[in-house]
Amino acid sequence: MRRADPWRIVQAAVWLLLALLLAWPLWGILRASLIVGSEPGFGNFVEILRQPRHLRAIGNTLLVGAGGMTGALLLGVTLAFLVVRVRLRGRAALQTLAVLALVSPPFIGAYAWIVLFGANGAVRRGLMEIGITIPPIYGAAGVMLVFSFKFFPNVFLIVSAALAQVNRSLEEAAEGLGLSPARRLMQVTLPMILPAISAAALLAFVLSIADFGTPRLIGRDFEVLATQAFLLYAADLGENPGLASALSLVLVALSMLLVLAQRRLLQRDVFHGSLLKPRPPSTLRGWRNIGAHVLAWLIVGVGIAPGLVVLVFSFRATRGPVFQPGFGLASYERVFHAVTLPVWNTLLFSTAAVACIVVAGTLIGYLITRRRSRATAILDGVLMVPYVVPGVVMGIGFVAAFNAPPVAITGTGLVIVLAIFIRRLPYSARAAATALRQVSPSLEDAAISLGLSPGRAFLRVTARLILPGILAGGMMSFVTAMNELSSSLVLYVSGTITMPVRIYVAVVNGDYGVAAALSSILLGITALAVYAAFRLSDRKDASFVG
Amino acid sequence: MSAVTVSDLVKSYTPGTRVLDGISLHIESGAFFTLLGPSGCGKTTLLRCIAGFLDPDAGQIHAGADRLDTMAAHRRDIGMVFQDYAIFPHLTVAENVGFGLKARRMPPAEIAPRVAEALRMVRLDGMAARLPADLSGGQQQRVGLARAMAIRPRLLLMDEPLSNLDAKLRIELREDIRDLQRRLGITTIYVTHDQEEALAVSDSICVMNAGRIEQIADPFTLYRAPQTRFAASFVGSMNFLPARIEDGRLHLGALSVPVSSDVQGTVEIAIRPEDTVLGTGKLALAGQVAKITFLGREALAAIETPLGPMQHLAANPSATLLRAAGSAISLDLPTERIAVFAPDGSRVAVTFS
Repeated sequence: MRRADPWRIVQAAVWLLLALLLAWPLWGILRASLIVGSEPGFGNFVEILRQPRHLRAIGNTLLVGAGGMTGALLLGVTLAFLVVRVRLRGRAALQTLAVLALVSPPFIGAYAWIVLFGANGAVRRGLMEIGITIPPIYGAAGVMLVFSFKFFPNVFLIVSAALAQVNRSLEEAAEGLGLSPARRLMQVTLPMILPAISAAALLAFVLSIADFGTPRLIGRDFEVLATQAFLLYAADLGENPGLASALSLVLVALSMLLVLAQRRLLQRDVFHGSLLKPRPPSTLRGWRNIGAHVLAWLIVGVGIAPGLVVLVFSFRATRGPVFQPGFGLASYERVFHAVTLPVWNTLLFSTAAVACIVVAGTLIGYLITRRRSRATAILDGVLMVPYVVPGVVMGIGFVAAFNAPPVAITGTGLVIVLAIFIRRLPYSARAAATALRQVSPSLEDAAISLGLSPGRAFLRVTARLILPGILAGGMMSFVTAMNELSSSLVLYVSGTITMPVRIYVAVVNGDYGVAAALSSILLGITALAVYAAFRLSDRKDASFVG
Repeated sequence: MSAVTVSDLVKSYTPGTRVLDGISLHIESGAFFTLLGPSGCGKTTLLRCIAGFLDPDAGQIHAGADRLDTMAAHRRDIGMVFQDYAIFPHLTVAENVGFGLKARRMPPAEIAPRVAEALRMVRLDGMAARLPADLSGGQQQRVGLARAMAIRPRLLLMDEPLSNLDAKLRIELREDIRDLQRRLGITTIYVTHDQEEALAVSDSICVMNAGRIEQIADPFTLYRAPQTRFAASFVGSMNFLPARIEDGRLHLGALSVPVSSDVQGTVEIAIRPEDTVLGTGKLALAGQVAKITFLGREALAAIETPLGPMQHLAANPSATLLRAAGSAISLDLPTERIAVFAPDGSRVAVTFS
């Protein structure tokens, strides 16, 4: 190669970044897991196999993963069929609310369910007064229920997109060949969207087993790998992180195994309707119509209920940590007097992380779509890794890697920012790659042949055209960055506490008023960011196709 | 305007498979030069090497006295027209056409007349303020042409510029491109897989196959005197029949004619459908008409012979011929129209006596 290509330098920088922020922390965990006391060995893994408590945690993790996945699939696929295939009133509202349920802070759900159905929950007490006793939500069933309502929007978005892509001619052909509606669904429609369903199922499973906040708050004595790793880590902080690291690796291995299994199951190509002729939604009549409406609104309603509950409770009167009858602003007063630090920290860290994510994600997206080579194909694969590394694990890895020189940054805001950065980078890179596939590569070639250097051609043409998509993606990254709990929980010190961590601490301490007020503020900022993302992606230039 | 010389160009994407396998060619200044071949033959790779979007592994490219292959793509002063038009969707027609001039930091007062001139050239005056989304495919490609010409490049490259257009527009724009190129006298390299398009516009055609050059010739010579079996089969349609040269005679089935040639043994003879004659002669094959396809000005007869299927193209077909399917027929192959190819695909020099 005789001429300098700026993308070579970019690629080298990206690999360096991944080595430092991904490989090095994971290597740190691996190293720690293989040390018992100060001797190297497999003792930690033997310990996991020997202790019933740890074996139970593995079983529990798989249980809530399967349960959360099943529930989310049932709700999400049902809603997708209703929204795409049936003429529903308030269809746009249903879709918007489903997205809101998706982005609402992850553990708010858990907390709101406690408020309603906990030992002292509002609904549970109300039912008790009229003589109906239901068990409190704590335990395995509660965790799976919360997961179902927490992750169904993911399933809904993936499956409804796939369903809208099914070419209507295929179904009409099946109809013409004499298949009944039920057989048409089973033999034509479902096989077409099976790849999407299995991808959504995998996502729900991986998210469920990585979740820390829900089992921690609702599980009580019910321990999963994520909570156990965190508790062990928190208990022997500074002493022997070996066992926590070993448990973390088991968790990563489970996720990885699932990803590989899904890939194996789906060797077939994903089907794409070449001509986009989606089937128009059909109009239902009578009871079936009412049933469809009730079902759709019920699913979405329960999905967004936690956010509403939290909002209402944030305006309840309190005395100290205890709710009083009536409404008031006491919780917000306490937040603004005593706990502003987490708010500022969250905004600062999220902004910093997102700025880096947008720049790095765009460059990586470019590398994997426009500079195809064996190296960038591997890069694309490596980007899968953060998907399967739960936040708690990433946090423990960062502590293992950055606690001592050469890079001693634990306890700083930087380490929290970097953890969020690496965890959310894949999403942004994938979003940029998707946007780039809509822009013809020859546009950049044209700019170069007309006299712009490769760097300027990228900035003036390609980057300019994908800007709306990137900004919309950046807003969504901002939302997830603000709501990051698990890695921050491992990495925070009192000066770098963030809103999600502070809410978690408040819930654990029973300080529900402050938790509700902080959650509502977080919800408000989240809603603003989502609105901004919607506006950005609705702009006309977003529809540019080269 | 400058002549272009490519010498010993080699390019591989994966080790071991050469997409360009030692390409050498010379293009006269001001010529309309076409790279013709099936997909995967390396024609687009060669064009992108000349444009500077790909680095060759070995070899050199010169334009006039300048060496191009070591120069960065954006300094080569080459105009390029793309298959998918590559019109910047966020810029107006005028901004698109002025893009290269702005990149060269030309003052706006000088850009405006150059843009107007270029738009007039491609007959898009009055469209300057439009956005590309408002233009048809043909109009977008005219913008692409104007944009490439506005920088007054030393060389114009076109990568299948017409293949996304419908048939009628394709012919119209192809004539416009040819007229414009003649008028400006700009050296042009044109890539296409469409042999009819290549014949219609080119001064010179380079037929490529599997990373190598099969033949470079003007359209008439290429059609009338193909030098390889591949060139013969790719340009126009061609009948091939197995034959033998033995003891000073060419044997075709049971028939034979005296011939003088350096080559002995198995060969293949080739003859174009329009060169075959219905009737008897020295090399007349007995056959049966399998199918007649009426094309208006002419008709195509598919004929089964003991040696294999043949095609005969009849100008001004008679009503009798159109009803000839199923009937026995005699198809004569005039020896002066026959080309002979060796088993390796090279042309064999023969003289029928």
